[in-house]
Formats: sequence, C-alpha cells, structure tokens
Amino acid sequence: MSSAAVEETLAAVRALGGGRYEEVEVFAKRGRSRRLDRREQQRLTVYSREQGWAVRAGDPRGSFFAAGQGAPDPAGPWPEADGRPLRLPGPVSSPPWSEPSDFEAPLIGEGEGHALLDALATALAREVDGARLVHAALEDGAYEIEVVNNRGLEAAHRGRLASLHLEAVDRSRPGVVASLYLAEREARRFEPGGLARRLADLLTVRRQGRTPERDRGELLLAPPVMVRMLEGLLPLFVGAEAPRRASELQNRRGKLGSEVLTVLDNGRLPGGVLEAPVDGEGVATREVLLVDRGAFRQALVPWWEARDPELRATGCSRRPGWRDQPKAGPTHLYLRPRAGVRAGELLEQVARGYYLMETDAAGSFDLEADAFSLPVCGFEVRAGRATAPIAGCVLTGSIGAFLHGLQAVARDLRFLPGAGMIGSPSALVTGLELRAR
Amino acid sequence: MPFSALDTAAVARALSQLAEQSEDLVDVFLERSEVVLLPPDGDPPGFRVTREEGLAVRLSRGDRTWLAARDGIEPRSFSEALRQVARVLPAAAYPEPRLDVAPWEGPATAEEMATFGPDVQRLLRQEHVAFPLRMTVSRHRRWLQVVGVQLVPGPQRESFYSCVVELPWGRFGALLPAVDRDAARWVARQLLATFRARQAQPPEPYRGVVVLGPAAAAVLLHEAVAHALEADTLALGGRPEAAVGVRLGAPGLHILDDPNAAPEGVRRSADDEGVPTCRRWLLRDGVVEQPLADSFWARASGELIPGAARRGNRFSAPAPRSSHLEVLPGELSAEDLVHDADGLYLGAAERGSLDPLTGEFTLVVPHGRRIRRGEVADPVGRCRLRGFVGDLLGTVQGIGKDVEHAGAGWCAKGGQKMPVWASTPALRLEGVEVLV
Repeated sequence: MSSAAVEETLAAVRALGGGRYEEVEVFAKRGRSRRLDRREQQRLTVYSREQGWAVRAGDPRGSFFAAGQGAPDPAGPWPEADGRPLRLPGPVSSPPWSEPSDFEAPLIGEGEGHALLDALATALAREVDGARLVHAALEDGAYEIEVVNNRGLEAAHRGRLASLHLEAVDRSRPGVVASLYLAEREARRFEPGGLARRLADLLTVRRQGRTPERDRGELLLAPPVMVRMLEGLLPLFVGAEAPRRASELQNRRGKLGSEVLTVLDNGRLPGGVLEAPVDGEGVATREVLLVDRGAFRQALVPWWEARDPELRATGCSRRPGWRDQPKAGPTHLYLRPRAGVRAGELLEQVARGYYLMETDAAGSFDLEADAFSLPVCGFEVRAGRATAPIAGCVLTGSIGAFLHGLQAVARDLRFLPGAGMIGSPSALVTGLELRAR
Repeated sequence: MPFSALDTAAVARALSQLAEQSEDLVDVFLERSEVVLLPPDGDPPGFRVTREEGLAVRLSRGDRTWLAARDGIEPRSFSEALRQVARVLPAAAYPEPRLDVAPWEGPATAEEMATFGPDVQRLLRQEHVAFPLRMTVSRHRRWLQVVGVQLVPGPQRESFYSCVVELPWGRFGALLPAVDRDAARWVARQLLATFRARQAQPPEPYRGVVVLGPAAAAVLLHEAVAHALEADTLALGGRPEAAVGVRLGAPGLHILDDPNAAPEGVRRSADDEGVPTCRRWLLRDGVVEQPLADSFWARASGELIPGAARRGNRFSAPAPRSSHLEVLPGELSAEDLVHDADGLYLGAAERGSLDPLTGEFTLVVPHGRRIRRGEVADPVGRCRLRGFVGDLLGTVQGIGKDVEHAGAGWCAKGGQKMPVWASTPALRLEGVEVLV
C-alpha cells in the first residue's frame, strides 16, 4: 500500500458525512515471511505475503474500526459509527532514530533454514542418548508499517522478527519432554549447537531430577525463570492501575523491592527484537525507568491512559498486526543487569540452595493475594556447586518476598518472547520456597 | 456465495502444471472472512469490521510440503504463488486464470448483535441480580473454496458468534451458533452461576467422583479424546495407525467426529482440503476405531481416512483436527448421575489443555457445586482436573441421556485458532484427581 493510498483514504474517510469524523487514522502494514516446519515425518515450507490496512474514525459521539487486506477503497463501504467516543494522539517530536543495518538482510532461504533445523536435531541426538527433536518451527519475517492521522501524525518504520519453537523428547523415558520458544531479529542468529545443549540439559534434568518435598535456601534463578517471574508481575508495571498495585506491595520505607530491582522498558533498545522509533499508534518510543533501585518511579502508560499528571505517557501501544487494536504493553521490559558479574560468581555464593534453570509450565500470579507459584527445574547447590538435578517442583512464596528478596544480579541479560520481549539476567533471591508439584 | 462464478476448471488446469509425479497433491485454498465485533460499552473504537480474502497454493510431495499464501484473490497473486511453490525462477511463465469473485455485499451490519447484551442484562435482572459486566460480542463468517487438480468440492460457509464477558471475579467466554433468545438465556444462566459462586472456596484436593455437565464434558473430551486421536499427535509417539484397536474407555462409550452434524451455521460437507467429511467413529464401545487424519497422514498410512483437515487461515497448512465432537447418550438421568455420590458437579469449564508429548491433560473449572449424599449442594470455587489420557476414559462410569449442543470453545493447537463444537451428555467420572 503506497503512502498516496494511505493519504487518499485518510481524506476520504474524513470527508464522510460532510466531514463528520474529527478523528481519523489509517494504519497500513506489509510483510513477508518464511516458515520452516520440521517434524519427524513431515517438512513444511510456507511463504507468506501480507498487506493490510485499518481505519479508526470517530468523534466524541461515535466511532468505528474497519480493516481489510490489500489497499482500502476510499469509497468504502464504511460501517456506521456507534456511540463510543474516539480520541487519537497528535504529533509529538520524536528523537532521531537510525534504522539498524541488519534490517536489510535477506530472509532465510528454504535450504538454509531446514539445514539449521537438521543441524539442531543432529546435535541434540549426539548430546543425549534417546533425545529426539520431534518438532521445530522457524519463522523469519520482515515488515513495514505506516501510520497517519488527521491530527498531523505521520510515522513509518520497518522491522525484522524471527521466532523458533522447539519440542524434544527423551525416547528412553516416556513423558520426559523439553521445549523452547525464542525470538531474534534474524533467523540466522539462532545457534543450533547452543540450543541443542539447552534442550539436552533440560531433558537430562527432567529425567534424573529428584523432587524436594519442601525446602528454602538461597536460590539462583536463571534468566528463563526470572523472565517468567517478571512477566507474571507485568500488572505492577503496565497501565494506569499499576501504581496502586505497586503501592500495596511497598514496604515501610516505601520501596517496592530491594536495591537490585531496577526495571526499564525501552522500545528503542539497540539490537532489540522489537526495536522501533514509534509504537502502534505512531507515538515516539523511548527508554522508561519504571523501578529505580527498588523505588517505584512510574508505570508504562499509553497517552490515552495518562490522565494523572504524575503518569508520564510513553509510546507503548502495541499493535502486532493490522487486525489488532492498539493495546498498552511492554516492548523490551527488563531487569537491569550488573556489568562484570558472572552468573557463576553468584552460584559460588550459594552455600545451600538451588539453581533454577527453566520453568516447566505457566505459573500463577495473584497480586491481590500477594502469592505466586511457578513450576521449575534445576539443580541442588551445596557450597557453590551444583550437586544433583531437581525436577517436578514449584517455586512459591509471596510476590513481596520475591521483590524484596532479590540479593544480586549478574550480567547475563537475556530476552524471551512473551507479552512483548521480557528480559532478565540471572538473579540471587532469598525468602522463597521450593515445594513438590 | 463469493466463489460461485469461479472458473474452477481453469484454476485446476493451472494447478496441474505443478503435479509432476503421480502422488503429488496440489491445490489452492481460497478464503474470504469477516469478523464483526461489538466491544463493551466505553471501549473505543465502537463498531469493528475486519474483512479479508486471500489464497494459498500448496504442493505436497512425499514428506515435503510447500505452501505460498497471498492476500487478495487475483490472477497475478495466484500465479506468483504457483511460481513460489514450484520454486522456479520468476522468468517461468505460469498462466493467470480469471478469478471471478463476487464483491463484498455493502457495509457490514449487525443488528442481531446489538440486542444480545441488553437481552442478557434483562434476563439477569429478572433473577433479581445485577453486577458490572463488560460484554464483547462478535460474529464470524467465512467462505471457503478448495480447488484441486482432481477434486473440486462445493464451496463451504461458516457463520457463528462468540461472546466474552469480563466480570469482577473472572472471565466467561462462549461460542454460539446464534445470538437468539435461547442463547441469551443460556449465557445469563452461566453468568448467574458464576455470580452465585463468586465467594465460594475451592474444594479440597481429592480423588473421587466428579459429574461433568455437558459443557465441561465437551471441553474435556476435546482435549483428551479429539486432540489425543489426531494423527499428528499420535505420530509423536510412533505410528498413528497403531492406536487403532486400543481400548481407551469402557464398553458403551461411543465418541464420534461429524462435521456434517454440527450446528447449522458451521456444518461442513467438505474439510479444508476439499475432502468430503464423514461420520468418524473415534471410539466405538471404548475402542479406538478411526483417528482424525488429513490427506498427508492418510497417504502415509493406508489405514487412516482423510476428511478431518482444518486450517485456521490461508497462512497455515492443513492439519488433522476435530470439528464437531459427538458423544452418544447413555441411559442415566441427571438424578442417576449423582446418585449415592459425594464429590463435585462441574457444569462448565474455563479452558482445557493437553500436553501432546506426555498425554497429560488439565481442565480448569471456574466454579462448581458439591455433591453430598447424592444431592447437588452448595457452590465451590475454582479447581482443576488433571490426569493422563490413557487413564481418563476408564474413569467414565456413567453417561447421561440428555445431549446438549454446545461450542466446546476456541482451540489453539499449534497456534491455529479454530472454533470447535460438540454435542455431549453429562458424564460421571470416578477416581479422577481434583486439584486446586
């Protein structure tokens, strides 16, 4: 869809009903992708090309949303607005942004992609006897987005996104499985050897791990576990209600967490999978400090929720595709790592405790009850050394205890896809409990 | 019907150029869809319409499949997709057959949806209850046409509704064949039960008797029978056809998949590969008879019958899925099912899941009622059923005689969101594990 078509549609919708609509926005997205799917009995290659648009139009008395593929016909037909008012953002100055050069890289080819998946399967089979990669899905895509509205906002940018989903089993032990879901900016960044080792480690731990009945101690949480913790706590960081929720978890000194708890969100994170100059409504993105050394600073709020003067709006309207409505959410939300600290150094500090390397399933987080539970696996640690694998247990405790019990973080920041990209380094935590599932 | 003027013979001729080997499967999937959504009061923008159409050309050869999907139904995009699937240079010329597709009919309207929310609210008031709720109602319509080299089935059409209600104490969702008075009454009844159980405590974990209402049984059987008997799921553990003849449940338990017996708006005579659907006995007298299969798995195993292929959209390849699950009724009345029991009655489920690699299923239930000495008694809060597929059907000790037609819900296996339907009676399970 050309810029001219976007402008023409904007003008046509604005003119409907004799210029009835005070607010009109046209969003256009074009993308192409390659998906390579590998199962033991089947190989699939999917080439997709998509081009779609969405129009939001309205005034204080009513609004509508219309979307379709291809280019919109300015003549319509357009639906009738109903009684809900609509407001759109105006133009704001946007800091300069240089498009990363790797956006130009070609999409992964069919042969190259299947070779990567085959290499992963071969490496996994070599790592552990009986280990088999039963399903792998690699997708590599590129997209272009354009947003204009009649308040003068005009924004356009491109992006790259690749994802990899892996499922492995241990044929020698029915029921022992491992899966990973990862995202990168480009498919070629997935490294088969390292991923095979991660799957192999997971299968080994789940095959050999004993289940502690109930135990406490120092816990070293690896990035995948920390990421799921942060994801479960997103209501503390996103939306107009977040400050109230956070205030209920603050201690007597007004702190939400320990000194090592510094949480940021950055839509422009250099090298980030979702790095972009603007959000889904064309509002400029920036780095936002949400929690600073344990003190809650602000929530991630889109412009339309920032009614409270203390809430500073950020470009955080996420809009995955042209069919979707903008919705507040993180882009790259992460716990700040500490430069120079290796995860191994934190492990050496654990006199008696556990190293939790992965989650086994989705957790449950109840902010009202101040409680959480997250299925995990990992290793028992004695005198700074991993001594025996553990599996089939849940990490549990109060959310406040987790936030205040963070003792140290390492430098190994890693992002995983979830509600946006969520990142964390390894972290040493006390005050939580490990129980049998 | 948008595809009634399509020159399917010309399309088939163009596709036939890709079929180089006798076993090659080549087809094009043409799709038009519309979603009309009425958001809850206060959510801008108001009336929301999403309309799209597109195509996907597929070539399947041996264990390899190539699929090229395009937005829009145009000769040029069709020809491009042919070229991409054939993996030839752009210089190769493929014909561009005319693709006559009817234009969209005027602007979308949804008068029938506008009254649904107010109807539900009025029915609740008639029960002398009122509570804040935010209801989203959507209408989903889809028109499909598959053209193969040798097979051109009739066009297919689906039309149904979905409704999501956000409540202060949870969320309720349902698929509905229509948004008429009966549907409003059913939704109001479900919301009322949720309201009455809002402060109920979860039950203590136990293993024992659970009576599942038809809506909860539909979700459980979708996870534990339909997904478990899909050829691609079975293949994770070995040859899919090895499941045939295995006893999974007690004699008297008959479970079928019959897309042609689904509610009228979603009835299908052909699947998403254009293969005629059939009345498929998944379990006959508790024994696996015919797993769900698509053309790929039917070719891979001579014992499997195609006709159960589904695809969420043109960007996804077909895969075996259930459409409309049917459990044949037993002879027990509602009273017989709870007779002499202490346990739980769980009327509706919030969601279910199956781990295809381990066979472990979970059913999450937002609320239920205790059964005390054979009587349905006080409400209980949220709980879960957990177990393994291999053990579950052995716990079915009673089958109700009254069948209810219901949407089992949205199925999201493999990232493909699809509506699934069911007609089931209530079931009495014994020895099932209930967790909080």
